Amino acid sequence: MHTLSAIEIRDKFLKGELSAIQIVEAFLDRIEKYDGQIGAFLCVLRERAFAKAKALDEKRSSGAKLGKLAAIPIAIKDNIHVQGEISTCASKFLTNYRAPFNATVTRLIEEEDAIIIGKTNMDEFAMGSSTENSGLQKTANPWNLKCTPGGSSGGSAAAVAARLCPLALGSDTGGSVRLPASFCGIIGFKPTYGRVSRYGLVAYGSSLDQIGPLATTTADAALMMEVIGRHCECDSTSYLAPEEPYLTHLEGNIQGMRIGVPWQYLEQLAAEPKEIFNRSIETLKKLGAKIVDIDLSILKYSLAVYYILATAEASTNLARFDGIRYGQRSKRAKTLDEVYDFSKEEGFGSEVKRRILLGTYVLSAGYQDAYYKKAQKVRSLIIERYKETFKHCDLVATPVSPFTAFEIGAIKDPLQMYLEDIYTIAINLAGLPAISVPEGFAKDGKPLGLQLIGPQKQDARVLHAAHAFETATGYHTAIPQLVK
Amino acid sequence: MADVNKQTIQNLIQLCRIDCTEEEQEAILVDLQKIIAYVEQLQEIDTENVSPCNQVMEGMANVMRADIVGEKMPRSAFLANAPSQVGGMIRVPPVIKSS
Repeated sequence: MHTLSAIEIRDKFLKGELSAIQIVEAFLDRIEKYDGQIGAFLCVLRERAFAKAKALDEKRSSGAKLGKLAAIPIAIKDNIHVQGEISTCASKFLTNYRAPFNATVTRLIEEEDAIIIGKTNMDEFAMGSSTENSGLQKTANPWNLKCTPGGSSGGSAAAVAARLCPLALGSDTGGSVRLPASFCGIIGFKPTYGRVSRYGLVAYGSSLDQIGPLATTTADAALMMEVIGRHCECDSTSYLAPEEPYLTHLEGNIQGMRIGVPWQYLEQLAAEPKEIFNRSIETLKKLGAKIVDIDLSILKYSLAVYYILATAEASTNLARFDGIRYGQRSKRAKTLDEVYDFSKEEGFGSEVKRRILLGTYVLSAGYQDAYYKKAQKVRSLIIERYKETFKHCDLVATPVSPFTAFEIGAIKDPLQMYLEDIYTIAINLAGLPAISVPEGFAKDGKPLGLQLIGPQKQDARVLHAAHAFETATGYHTAIPQLVK
Repeated sequence: MADVNKQTIQNLIQLCRIDCTEEEQEAILVDLQKIIAYVEQLQEIDTENVSPCNQVMEGMANVMRADIVGEKMPRSAFLANAPSQVGGMIRVPPVIKSS
């Protein structure tokens, strides 16, 4: 069953070939068998999953209409609220925080009869590119247990790659869905900013965050997008537009599609990833795409812009974690000031502290113009550059990452870790839709992802092109040896 | 470039209200100096006539709804996560010091 896609599992359930209980049992067994080594899940919601499965089997027997995600077990990144369950954001601060409301995406997927099977590990408060910043546990890459699964949605990516569940939700602020998808050899999609509601997603960088699917096929990602890609009244940054039939738009060729490649910007790529990327471009050409040379040299500033704006926004967003209304209040605190000082000291990991302090610095009096406002201006330039670029091409292609999954503990320097995001980050600055689709394996057996980027609101086009690439190459069907 | 030093870190810690050990402060100082040196490269770019980006999507405007009471969260749900409570309120150490 674990080799089936989410859609295949749902269809077998709808036809009566599998019961929801059987499906849940099968995946819970796999989690039991493999997650000890992988560490994808922070908590497995056995009772909840069984209760939902039982209800679904009854619903099916009664002949009632079943939802688009019927009986599909789905893992949810632990910064997305599931009412009544703990949301830790992988932080010691929130180990006792029980979500009093559902995130919009949670409500939407449950309305379509999905089975939420567990909450997954991540970098603390989504700050990181390897899941190593989790305050609670380590997650290993199912392709190589010595390596990271990427981050910050590493738990969700590892769970799907190891076929512990067929579909998962993650969040992407600077590459946090796409990078782990690339490191884990699966599909990871970040929608246009505002396409998916952020209500119930614990905010990191509010102008950058988007929730997106992690899946083993583009069709499964498209299905999830049909369910969650809609306007939400509780999120004032979600845009007003009807839901789109992403599944219908998947099929068909990409004959004549103009795909821009910023060759100059990719000059620093090492030999092996460059070779694999070049091969992907040849595949796109064979599929009928026309490759166009584009200039995205301004993107060399995107990391600097991101690390000013995201940390500034984070310093504001994380101010709410003060030990007053929720979370772990320090037992040492005797005065009000100590509640703040000690709760944060004990609750936050070092990367979170670093980013809050940096964000405070760039917003502080005397520095705001030089850093924050400057970064906002360069962000405008980046957005303009992409708009200009998309006059000459329909999509942009780049690698997702300069590297394959690196060993746990290999990168200690924070600035070096930030450089992992070099190809993914500008996409969040410009609010564009982008996907990571498996493009092959390095000689050491580790996967790589091809990134396809579209103009704002062209999510369907991105999914469509990725589908064509996936169909032509078949890399997405590979399963890690450990969990076959 | 602004001089990031020990005092800077102490000021920031005060502003954020996050306690940090001496060791953590030293490590943060090194990291912040490196990161700020890195982001200095933005000064190379001419942004004289560029407006700052306040919204990533064009045409975003404040979205308001009618001032009508909608779904309510019961007080008990809210207080369920409170570290300390008394009489239906969140309890904190004294705000005003008694002399």
